[in-house]
Amino acid sequence: TSGVLVQPQQPGAECPEDSGDYCGLQETNSPFVFLSVALKFTDKHEWVQVEGGVGIVGISNYAQEALGDVVYCGLPEVGQRLEQMDEFGALESVKAASELYSPLTGEVTEINTELAENPGLVNKDCYAKGWIIKMTIEKPEELDGLMDQAAYDKFVTSLE
Amino acid sequence: MSQMRGGQPLVEVVRLGLVSYQEALRLQQVYVNRHRSGPAHALLLCEHPPVYTTGIRHKPYPEPLLDQLRLLGADVARANRGGLITFHGPGQLVCYPVLNLCSFKKSVRWYVDQLEQTVIALCSRFAIRATTSPHTGVWVGDNKICAIGIHCGRYITSHGLALNCCTDLSWFDHIVPCGIEGKGVTSLSAELRRHASVEEVVPHLLHAFTQQFNCQLTEAAQDGGESLTPVTSAGTSALTNLKDN
Repeated sequence: TSGVLVQPQQPGAECPEDSGDYCGLQETNSPFVFLSVALKFTDKHEWVQVEGGVGIVGISNYAQEALGDVVYCGLPEVGQRLEQMDEFGALESVKAASELYSPLTGEVTEINTELAENPGLVNKDCYAKGWIIKMTIEKPEELDGLMDQAAYDKFVTSLE
Repeated sequence: MSQMRGGQPLVEVVRLGLVSYQEALRLQQVYVNRHRSGPAHALLLCEHPPVYTTGIRHKPYPEPLLDQLRLLGADVARANRGGLITFHGPGQLVCYPVLNLCSFKKSVRWYVDQLEQTVIALCSRFAIRATTSPHTGVWVGDNKICAIGIHCGRYITSHGLALNCCTDLSWFDHIVPCGIEGKGVTSLSAELRRHASVEEVVPHLLHAFTQQFNCQLTEAAQDGGESLTPVTSAGTSALTNLKDN
């Protein structure tokens, strides 16, 4: 397993539950989380992590900062079929509703019901507890078109 | 069409006059779609006949409650914007910037801040001290003078702000505006203790907008372009462009 350095997390952040064979968590003074499966990113700042043939989807740290405090998550229905780039929901922050776009083609298998009570998870723990949906991966080749961590970091730098 | 002048984005001012909320939604979509072929920033200005609107968080407002509002003689509409329930009506300057944030800054939080600062600057031109608060919008003390609620998809903005110029504020008595208990609403006229019409305020808003967003404004061509058929009611509003009359 190759470890991948993820964007800085808040100190003490927990690993995603299904992080695979290895997950090394460093303590509060070094908030980096190593995941066994690499994240892929879209240019709309969504990330997708593949686990057991299912894609977990969320938004990146860059995106959650640009949004501000999320107060509401409008999520799709389980079973809804999404084409890549379809709008599948919206996040509301500072009186702004921002669309979410599907990184892949597939079917929604799960939505993060925690976000109903605690939408701020999207800000506080965007790579782990702030996950938004899980979906099947109908066209695995779409993953090849997404950015890996290094490419995404470069992309974000170019925006600033 | 050149979209930049001297490095500043060019924004087209579109004066819609008095239009229904639904018609304004339709027109916003036309302007949103224009961005598909390249930057085509627009600033839609209008007034609405009385209407209560809700945003994507519509669950706090079930049909029976909305029916009560309809009985008051207002329309009721649901929008895909952020923010809770609010009221639009004559005397309120409604401004819908349809911008591509790629030409400005790709942050929704920044964009909303800029809208707030624009209105604060406008108020200061009238010697009114307006502020922001933890609740989005522009406040004079504990009273909201301008509501803000936007939508952003693929960096294209829609919906926008609603500034009370000489709005009949009693319409707000029937709702908890924007879901914020214990606060009131106000208008430029109420603060100035004199009538301040939408017509008087528009140029100040446009000036503040250009300053805050560092952009240049251009007026829509008067050839009645195919995408625009503003619907005006029997009366005219302050914003109706009189050139064709």
